[in-house]
Amino acid sequence: MIQVTGISKRFGAVQAVEAVSFSAPDGRITGLLGANGAGKSTTLRIISTVLKPDSGTVTVDGADTLAAGDAVRLRLGVLPHASGLYPRLTARENIRYFGELNGLAGAALQQRLDQLIALLEISEFAERPAKGFSQGQRIKVALARALVHAPRNIVLDEPTNGLDVMATRVLRTLIRGLRDQGHCILFSSHVMQEVAALCDDIVIIAHGRIVARGTPDEIRRQSGETDLEEAFVKAVDAAPGAAP
Amino acid sequence: MRHAFGTVFRKELIDNLRDRRTLLTVLVFGPLFGPVFYAVMMNTIVNKQIGNLDQPLKLPVRGASYAPNLVSYLQQNNTVIEAAPADPRQAVKAGKADVVLVIPREYAEAFRAGKPAPVELVMDASQEAAGKNINRTRTLLQNYGREIAALRLLARGVDPRAIAPLAIEDVDVSTPQSRAVLVLGMVPYFFLFAAIIGAFYLAIDTTAGERERGSLEPLLTTAVPRGTLVAGKLAAVSFYSAVSLALDILALYWCQGLFPAAKLGIAVNFDLPAALAAFLVMVPFCLFIAALLAVVASFTRSYKEAQTWLSFIFILPLIPVLALLLFPAQPALWMMLVPAMSQDVLMTALIKGQELSGGFVAVSVVVTLAAGLLLARLAAWLYRREKILG
Repeated sequence: MIQVTGISKRFGAVQAVEAVSFSAPDGRITGLLGANGAGKSTTLRIISTVLKPDSGTVTVDGADTLAAGDAVRLRLGVLPHASGLYPRLTARENIRYFGELNGLAGAALQQRLDQLIALLEISEFAERPAKGFSQGQRIKVALARALVHAPRNIVLDEPTNGLDVMATRVLRTLIRGLRDQGHCILFSSHVMQEVAALCDDIVIIAHGRIVARGTPDEIRRQSGETDLEEAFVKAVDAAPGAAP
Repeated sequence: MRHAFGTVFRKELIDNLRDRRTLLTVLVFGPLFGPVFYAVMMNTIVNKQIGNLDQPLKLPVRGASYAPNLVSYLQQNNTVIEAAPADPRQAVKAGKADVVLVIPREYAEAFRAGKPAPVELVMDASQEAAGKNINRTRTLLQNYGREIAALRLLARGVDPRAIAPLAIEDVDVSTPQSRAVLVLGMVPYFFLFAAIIGAFYLAIDTTAGERERGSLEPLLTTAVPRGTLVAGKLAAVSFYSAVSLALDILALYWCQGLFPAAKLGIAVNFDLPAALAAFLVMVPFCLFIAALLAVVASFTRSYKEAQTWLSFIFILPLIPVLALLLFPAQPALWMMLVPAMSQDVLMTALIKGQELSGGFVAVSVVVTLAAGLLLARLAAWLYRREKILG
């Protein structure tokens, strides 16, 4: 369970995020939807503790990101915007490194590695250095790396970026599977269809503010539109700070 | 989180072991640059300085017929008289001759009249390589002049000792080892160089490189305190630096037979205990340089930018080395407080064969380690800022 309460973040003259509040409960997929530059990545980076909010708080399973960073990081699996694998390490080594960093060792780690490699269909390239991986292969390894310590909460920053249709379907199935196991899943996207196809709850962010949130049905009802895309456009246009 | 420290250390070791460029610099270029450069330089110097002392001086002389006595004196003193080139100035300028002796027609008349007889030494003082032959020629001429002066005084019934009021005797107290410093003065820099280049690529790869690849952000979302991450990385960088240094010392130890040091009348004191002492004196510098490079690299945005800035670090240790070559000074306590300088001073003393002062070594080791740890803490602090992600 991720609880975001009134966070703001400013970079120089740019107010990246302002008074953002929402919660991502366990056993549900929450989609953070917004255009490029709307503040999605900043919000996710504050949740994953690499940025500090100027004001407001974030708790993960009740642990505060500022007061108990290490506890938060243990409960969190993060797939950042750039997959960021070590090119000279193999897929397995990349995953193992993060397992060890998060305190796994020995047979438990070995078992977890085999399990993830099977689950994410990595075995074919598990022993190859990451240097020549395709985008799909990279995302799979980065996801395995985020999941290696079996975190309760999973944060995915535009995970389907650059994936082909088949890889996207595999990823969706996987995310739904994790939700059904009771994980809290928060993921960001700028693709409407993506969010509509996958999410239980949608949080729409524009110009650093939350402009709408709820289930897809609730958002359609709030805006009085039958089409989710129209509802999205309407919500964004109504936001303060929108271009006239 | 002790296991995390080991995990980071191990990962960086293995990861960089697979990088051919890093490996090449740490294992080959860094350790061998000094000794190879040195062997070539020493052999060149030795051949220039010693090689031609025993050989007859080849001296082109113009107007030899005006001064048969002088010419035969030269010949008796290991000189081969050669025909002078048509234009001596041009020949010397073009480097075809080191020095040409020109005896003008007036020589014979002035000599007979007991007046100073003119002779010209045509030379190019800017030609360092010619200096030896110029000096030999000048010395021969002066000796001849002194002999003639003594004969003339005797002929007039004056004791020739009257014009030699001083009896100067050179007493050279330099030991062969201290002469070695003139030649081996750059060796401490090669040790410093090996330590720096061993750390160089690793320091960039683990900081700016990690950021550029995008792997820093996921790394920072693991449950490892950032101080531990930095410590593991610095340990790996220091380790590579120490490996490069150790190989450099070993290379010098094994190659010293290749240096024609004995021919120069210098003794190189680099036996096994000296090599071990060199490593112990130098190794704190590895931590210092690793931390310094990491601090500088953490301000840069990309691998390229880091490379540019870190290149300046190569020059830093050269400053005390050059300063001590230009202004030789006895080791002093304040020098032990400056990393790079303290190692340079101690290494120089070691090569000279001087007894290393235990107190100085202790101060150097403690101060360098402390400075390294301080920089490491600074690096850890820099990694706690959110700006570290760029």
